[in-house]
Amino acid sequence: MDDSTKRLLQQLVRRIPTQMLKTTLEKWGRLTTEQQKSLDFTQPKWVLTENLLAFCEENGWTTKHITELEMIYVTDSPNQGMWYAFQLLDPEDDAPSVELTQFKEQFKIHLTELIRHVSIKIKKHTDEAVWIRIAWGDSFSRPNHLKPTYVVHHLQTPYVFMSSVTRKQKPLLSQALVLATRYTAIKDAHLSGRKLTAIRDVVMKQYQQVFPTKYPSPLLEQNQTASNPLIKREQAESSENRHQMACEAFGYGMVPQLQTAVYKLETKFRGITNKTMTERGEPIRCVVKFTSTNLLESFRNCASSGIASTPVTPLLSSITQKGRNFFVITDNGRGPS
Amino acid sequence: MERHSSVAETPVNSVMVQRRSGSKSFRQSYRSCVGAASHLGYTPGLTTRRLTTSRRAPRSRTVTESVNPEQLSLLVKKEWQLSYVTPLHHFRHTQLRSYSRQLLAFIVAEKQQGLAVALEGAESSLKVVFSVVEGMATTDDDADTVLIQIHSKSVFASQDDPRRLVWSGWLTCINGSPDYVRSLPKDFVCLPLLCSSGAQWLTSLVKSWLERAFDCCIGSLDINSVNLQWLAALWTNCHPESNIGQLKLMWTLPVDPPLEIAFTVHPQDAWELWSSMRGQLQEEEQENEGVGEGAGDKDSVDIDEVTRFIDGLKNHFYRHFRLDLSAGTLSQVSTALGTAKHSGRIKISSSSYMNATLMLLTECALLKMPV
Repeated sequence: MDDSTKRLLQQLVRRIPTQMLKTTLEKWGRLTTEQQKSLDFTQPKWVLTENLLAFCEENGWTTKHITELEMIYVTDSPNQGMWYAFQLLDPEDDAPSVELTQFKEQFKIHLTELIRHVSIKIKKHTDEAVWIRIAWGDSFSRPNHLKPTYVVHHLQTPYVFMSSVTRKQKPLLSQALVLATRYTAIKDAHLSGRKLTAIRDVVMKQYQQVFPTKYPSPLLEQNQTASNPLIKREQAESSENRHQMACEAFGYGMVPQLQTAVYKLETKFRGITNKTMTERGEPIRCVVKFTSTNLLESFRNCASSGIASTPVTPLLSSITQKGRNFFVITDNGRGPS
Repeated sequence: MERHSSVAETPVNSVMVQRRSGSKSFRQSYRSCVGAASHLGYTPGLTTRRLTTSRRAPRSRTVTESVNPEQLSLLVKKEWQLSYVTPLHHFRHTQLRSYSRQLLAFIVAEKQQGLAVALEGAESSLKVVFSVVEGMATTDDDADTVLIQIHSKSVFASQDDPRRLVWSGWLTCINGSPDYVRSLPKDFVCLPLLCSSGAQWLTSLVKSWLERAFDCCIGSLDINSVNLQWLAALWTNCHPESNIGQLKLMWTLPVDPPLEIAFTVHPQDAWELWSSMRGQLQEEEQENEGVGEGAGDKDSVDIDEVTRFIDGLKNHFYRHFRLDLSAGTLSQVSTALGTAKHSGRIKISSSSYMNATLMLLTECALLKMPV
């Protein structure tokens, strides 16, 4: 067992929070029952690390085993780091029939053709998602396991999510994915966030959506604040309408937790009183960035409380309708899609 | 040159201006100039009359030429927390050495409360230095800026080892209201703005020592949205002479969870919007009055121009997002010249236009003082 394996294990144990360490090790299953029992999870982390390094020697674990453990951990807590969504385009005729074994084989073959020294690990998670871990090397060095790339692809859908990919690695990875899934091209879906589950839900519309109905029945507001019943009665209809439109635009109940939305605007000045500027004709360049711990919920509250005028402007509702959070807006219409 | 038009315009027969009977005190002099409501009043009529309605457009380089560049480098590119300080009683610029010793003794004593302290020959790990930053004052009435630095060294280091700066702060007055400063009794020195940076426990110790030694009051100073708008406009005004990089305004909306909106405008576009607002306002004034405003237009900036500028930006935003930014609070303004936050933090990134910024902050401090 060499130094790099030790280092990898050390880094990994440091990364995993102690509460999760026990379950992750159990799932991994490479500790004997004695060893498992001897670990005391109330001790400080460095003690646990020492113990695990000792077991590593005893059991003769290799890098392969440690990367297995890492994959288990990342799959169980995917809401870390930054994830970027991509969409595959123009499927070939046999794209819908690609299934797991074929995808696995093809991906490995294509990627190793493009770059020789890679270490690939593919695993199918319980919910139809295929997880790929890639450690990149080059002609001079072995694969670097300390900075792996993770890719998640839902078979039968054109969506791919990537995390920790450098600019040089991206084209190789994209090429391999396109060939393995039998599509023709891949494009940036302009959606990013810290939580994989959130961006997955947004792009695949797996959240509680509300559709405009002809006979609106009032949606229950999540937090019923105590208020003056007279005001409530008077404001009832307009506040119900606002709430309805807010939910149509941003979802109902628990919404996927996005953190930011960025709009790059290059549009003509639209002030009311300023003649010089409107006559000027040249666009103003600005960037608007919305940040929140739960962006969609903030927007929904803005709309239902009236801070944002309803009906919600398509610029904001595009986040859910189009499943993206990066937009370039010019006077001629939306920018690159 | 009369810059604070508010002071001149305060009407004598206004109900709010109450002359306090009793002995003379500096309390009375400022209050009588300004009006009893001070920063608590919300009546728009009086507050606008009381607020500075026009300021001098910032000029670059005034500071860089007269101040020692080494000292200047200690002040820029650092984030400072602002506080206001009421006039200091018996503060002498000549006694700085003694103050250094006193402050050090105070800090050591507080740290070792209850234990006997031997000051002479104590292996103190801290060193306090008071110094004067010359050249920052713009008028004769301004007191010289005083810089306080606290260095530390490890107990095992030798005499020659470099000390690490753990805390620094400076008291300053840049273009303080001359009426007020002159009305203070002889023993008082007016240095209303305190900028501090460093560990919180040291900041509170320095503040309590200043309060005890000079019988003053120190409180936190926040920058309200009007002043943030002023800074945005004044900084944008500098663009033709020195590139401001970008104009970034941040609002916080009071929803659950709070939404933060960062609106960044390209500097050239911000400048064009600003100058067109000014041009339009001057046109309108000329139409209304039929008399040209004359020279000095380019030199002074009016609050109307500032409000229109910010409103213009908010309107542009509204046209796109149909989100009313007035529902939120302006929490931060940032350009290449500096960053100002609503919580009372300021960072001056470039020494070129420091004066104008400090002038505005000095005025904020003078207005916020409870006296």
